[in-house]
Amino acid sequence: MTHFRTVKPLPVLQEMLQPRKSGMFEDLAFWLGYITNGKHLTWYASFQFTIYAALLGGALAVVFGLTGATLKNSRFFVLRLVGSTYSSIVRGVPDVLFFLFFPLAFEQGVEWLVSTQVCSPEAIAAQTAPWPPCREANWFLGTTEYLLLASVSLGLVYGAFATNVIHGAMRAVPAGQLEAARAYGMSTTQVLWRVHIRQMWVYALPGLSNVWMLIVKATSLLSLLQIADIVLWADRLGAPNFLPTVGLVHDDWRWRYYLVLFVFYILVTWLSERAFEYLMRRTGRGILSEVRT
Amino acid sequence: MKKTMLAAAAVLALATPAFAQDTVRIATEGAYAPWNFLNDAGEPAGFEIDLGNAICETAELSCEWIINDWDSIIPNLLAGNYDLIMAGMSITDERLETINFSDNYFPPDPSKFVAAAGAGLDFSALSGARVGVQGGTIQAGYAEENLGGANTIVTFSTADQAMADLAAGNLDTILADGAYLEPVVNASNGALEFVGEDVMIGGGVGAGVRKEDTELKATVDEALATLKADGTVDALIAQWFDGMGPFFSE
Repeated sequence: MTHFRTVKPLPVLQEMLQPRKSGMFEDLAFWLGYITNGKHLTWYASFQFTIYAALLGGALAVVFGLTGATLKNSRFFVLRLVGSTYSSIVRGVPDVLFFLFFPLAFEQGVEWLVSTQVCSPEAIAAQTAPWPPCREANWFLGTTEYLLLASVSLGLVYGAFATNVIHGAMRAVPAGQLEAARAYGMSTTQVLWRVHIRQMWVYALPGLSNVWMLIVKATSLLSLLQIADIVLWADRLGAPNFLPTVGLVHDDWRWRYYLVLFVFYILVTWLSERAFEYLMRRTGRGILSEVRT
Repeated sequence: MKKTMLAAAAVLALATPAFAQDTVRIATEGAYAPWNFLNDAGEPAGFEIDLGNAICETAELSCEWIINDWDSIIPNLLAGNYDLIMAGMSITDERLETINFSDNYFPPDPSKFVAAAGAGLDFSALSGARVGVQGGTIQAGYAEENLGGANTIVTFSTADQAMADLAAGNLDTILADGAYLEPVVNASNGALEFVGEDVMIGGGVGAGVRKEDTELKATVDEALATLKADGTVDALIAQWFDGMGPFFSE
């Protein structure tokens, strides 16, 4: 049924969409003014959400990863089961899906919990919407709440990957190192923290840098949670405008704004690589030379 | 047990401030000029923003604007994320099943077809055409029902995206609110023209409100009556819609 037929383009309309040409300096001043108007400044400010989400999500992923790896290494079967279930199931769930699922489930869980405390039977009877049980139990999530939930989602999803990375790295630490530590009379906890986890980083960092890059990429999903992030603003700014009262009349410019996002993400990648190189050098100090890069 | 109680208390403490309903939150799409849009400063502006602020001033309410995508704007009203919708939403029987509306603040507005000048569409037996509409609008429902069989209905998340696709030559025609299309067609220097016959759908544009919020609806209606009588609504319509009207004052 769907067929593509190209209707003749509209030259006059296309022309109308072109910005007026004038002298080079007027042009420059115009564009400078355009890219620094309030709308664009809001867009630039929204980069902070992406950065916060990546940093907090990354930190949480390491925390969840360490927890998961510890569980997987546990002596107790039940804890091992929890650890391996977490890493195998959560790794398999698409991040977009988890990103949508977790905050919604958490919000409704909290609303249910609150509703058991604050909802009177009359309020429940008066409620017309299917959810929440009563109006008083509605939890309005602002940008901050969504940003926190987004970071936790990122931490949970990529923590499952980090679990495997760290689990593998823990096993890569030569047994002789641990034996030597025990022979020095260190307690189990001391061996774990001073030798095992300290040396583990060298083996874990290459894998963790992968996980970090995945987290950085996943921050482009923030707008799914109604956070006015860089992607949403790129959409808004690039959307075509036909009315001079609204602002500059222009065609669909979204690709130009997406291009800026490309550059931003490439820049973050480059910075991350430098940072991980530095970390590798630091954590590798005094450790087997063959694992250094 | 104690820990659970503490956790519950913490959750309650965390959540409580959000439950206070001191201000009226008004949702708008922010992508439907001149009804509502984001101006160069990145703030909501347009006919409905001016009108909403006038309503709030008259009714002595403190109001806050929230930008919400069109397709989730009714569900989020029902969930309680905001209290009013002012987003160029027409009053229809279908919508009245789930939400209520204030009195209209814009009269029933004919929906119009727009196409490239001289495209020569045969509207008496339109077939094989690509018709653009914004999803979830009265026009989308109308187009599916009346034109869907013989034509391809293409839905867009915003009206401006549909316009862009028409300008790019990917659509034969667009069906949308006349008041939205009028300024665009006027600004196109004859490249676009109205075609076919206007369709009357919807009972004017009003503010969406939850059914149980009868008090808020009464407050808004009262303020609207005042603003219609003193000519404010007509003045705003004339200001934002190229001198249309007057509709409400005698």
